Amino acid sequence: MLDIRYGEDRQVLLVGRLDAAQAATAQAFLDEVAPPCVIDAGGLEYISSAGLGVLLKTHKRLAASGSGIRLINVNPHVHDVFRYSGMDKLFSVTCST
Amino acid sequence: MEMTFKRSIHELPAIVAATDLFFSERRTDPALRLPVDLSIEELFVNMVKYNQDTGHDITLRLDWIGDAVEISLTDYDVEPYDPTRVPDIDVDAPLAARQPGGMGLYLVSKMVDAIHYEYRNRESKVTFTKRMAQDHA
Repeated sequence: MLDIRYGEDRQVLLVGRLDAAQAATAQAFLDEVAPPCVIDAGGLEYISSAGLGVLLKTHKRLAASGSGIRLINVNPHVHDVFRYSGMDKLFSVTCST
Repeated sequence: MEMTFKRSIHELPAIVAATDLFFSERRTDPALRLPVDLSIEELFVNMVKYNQDTGHDITLRLDWIGDAVEISLTDYDVEPYDPTRVPDIDVDAPLAARQPGGMGLYLVSKMVDAIHYEYRNRESKVTFTKRMAQDHA
């Protein structure tokens, strides 16, 4: 399951599994987020290409207004997915270790 | 272990639960679960999205082969589609050239140790293996 909500300082908290079944929920939330968008992914256990697509679409929308998204506290295994896909070259992805 | 699943992305939680059950038989490095889960999801979702002219369930089979896991997904009464022959994506492309979608099978190719496709009697079967480091602690 996925939990996505605002935490402290209007950071977006992403917890659980961002897969194809949860992508629409995440996209609906992120479509309403205004810049700057910092996503605390410390609780994100899993992401697939569907989840990457959600983040890429959000980054494109916000980058058009001069900002973009920034992911922090990404666990090393999830970070591998960003690295393999090249997403870590498009927006900031900071590992938790 | 062999199970069948309806052709819906809403089956993903049940697939994860089945995979959890399979891996509970052995102590494995939890870190190695992500590539396995991701590969199953991408291949399953690919079958659901692109083989829409069939109503058959999809079969998922998981086996231990020594310290490796061998996983196959079989789709029935479908046209051939070889997920191992999808062109690579350009991971160095600029933002304007990157589009959501199209990354799934590329990620699978990078995260598994071997992948094989066969098509026979209108059945599409893709099999991949992933070595799993054993946790003997």
